[in-house]
Amino acid sequence: MTKTSPALGEPLMQIRNLDKSFGGVKAVQDVSMDLRAGIVTTLVGPNGAGKTTFFNLITGNLARDSGQVTWLGQDTAGLKPYRLARAGVGRTYQDLRLFDGMSVWENVLNATEHGAFPMPISRAHRRGRRERMEHVLERTGLIDKRHTRAIDLAYAERKFLSMARIMATEAQLWLLDEPASGLDPNSYERFLTILREDVAGGVTVCIIEHNLDIVVGISDRIAFLDRGKLLADGDPKTVLNDPELARIYFGDRA
Amino acid sequence: MEAYIYNLVNLIAIYAILAVTLNFIMGYAGIYSLAHAVFFGLGAYVAAWVALHVHPSIFVTLPAAMASAAALSLLLALPALRVRGEYFVAASLGLQVLAVTVFSEWKSFTGGIGGVLAIPPADVFGVEVFKPQHFAIVSIIALIVVIGLINALVHSSFGRNLRAIRDSESAAASFGKNVPMIKTLSVVISAALAAIAGALYASYMSFINVESFTLDTSVLVMAMVIIGGTGTVAGPIVGAALLMLLPSAISWIDFLPQTEVGALQQIIYGLGMTLLMIFRPGGIVGRRAAV
Repeated sequence: MTKTSPALGEPLMQIRNLDKSFGGVKAVQDVSMDLRAGIVTTLVGPNGAGKTTFFNLITGNLARDSGQVTWLGQDTAGLKPYRLARAGVGRTYQDLRLFDGMSVWENVLNATEHGAFPMPISRAHRRGRRERMEHVLERTGLIDKRHTRAIDLAYAERKFLSMARIMATEAQLWLLDEPASGLDPNSYERFLTILREDVAGGVTVCIIEHNLDIVVGISDRIAFLDRGKLLADGDPKTVLNDPELARIYFGDRA
Repeated sequence: MEAYIYNLVNLIAIYAILAVTLNFIMGYAGIYSLAHAVFFGLGAYVAAWVALHVHPSIFVTLPAAMASAAALSLLLALPALRVRGEYFVAASLGLQVLAVTVFSEWKSFTGGIGGVLAIPPADVFGVEVFKPQHFAIVSIIALIVVIGLINALVHSSFGRNLRAIRDSESAAASFGKNVPMIKTLSVVISAALAAIAGALYASYMSFINVESFTLDTSVLVMAMVIIGGTGTVAGPIVGAALLMLLPSAISWIDFLPQTEVGALQQIIYGLGMTLLMIFRPGGIVGRRAAV
């Protein structure tokens, strides 16, 4: 996790004038944002605001209509999602997309393996990787379930496996799509601890979250999206105390 | 009697190679191909041609067969794997239909409908292997080598990548996997190894024609995989043995007129397949259905 990490606050990903329409619906309109090293940015907004579409656009899973995204100063236009992933942009999915037929261990192991061909790896490297994976599984509480198939896990365990996979990678930026939704209070504490530790360890996080306790507990910055537009982008207190945004968020729309 | 049994052993080993290699893409990568008999056939024709015109050593015929099948599979995989899964099934079906036409019409290479005659027996280190009991050693060693290779691949990072892609392509890509490349490679490996079965078949039978490489064969091999257990190690071998033994088992029934054997066989296939899918969708060796 200690690559050539840029100084705290340096922009890792710069998003400029991002646009995307589906048919006549403008899913994302003219969104500009910087994701800065070591900063936790939370995307909030009502359902259908374009938060997940925004993730899909910046990772290249969806083609953008216009706008520019740079990663570590490089334009990402035309870059396939797997290339961007190798360059250090990790993501999770709201519907998890675990490798259901594989064990917990294999899910995490696979997240650390990039190449198409099986490459011989040294014993020291193998040992280092195993220790790192065991550490990740201990932190996510999955170490005793390492031989269980992903599909046989309970709901909260599945959410943590989704986190464990990204933790095992060397991604510098984590795009997390509702990682804590539906967690019980204990799991939720564990989740916050993990996130805080990894952020302290140098990971940059952009997270989609509905739970305002989490939002307040973890965010350095809040970006408020509604109907594809970025309505506010600033420190948590200012954004959350804006009566206009609260009205939109809690659905009191005229 | 002895020759009869060894003959069955050889055919089971050859079809088991086909089933094991098809299972590699079906069971691990989730790629359903209806063109497996094309690579079986191409392997057989190329091996026959090489044995007749170059050298009958299996160390010449096998590599030639494998290389041709790999090259042809690349032509199928490169365009077809860039789109969604269903299109691969359609594209492979197209290739199968096209190949049967080419196999029946390209007389200078395949002998047309009449086929290729008098293919020299397999030459292993200068020894001509033509008796079924001797050939059984060759075919079983080939089967073991293919199973060993596929098992090693499945348990390597390559195999994990295949299963990851089968479970979620988008998530696999998010973890840096070059999905089209990995899928293409798996199809090429599967086709090249299936050609081994073709090469063995040509030198064992000493006569081949298009009848053995039609869509029926592709479907039969797929049935072997499904009945035995998709995504398992032993499944395709059990499936191949079962479906190859079935016709012989039926022919042992004394009171059944020989003309009815084919019909009964079809009924048993159909009924067996239906019952299996209801009660054991994972196949004979596969996991039981989740309750």
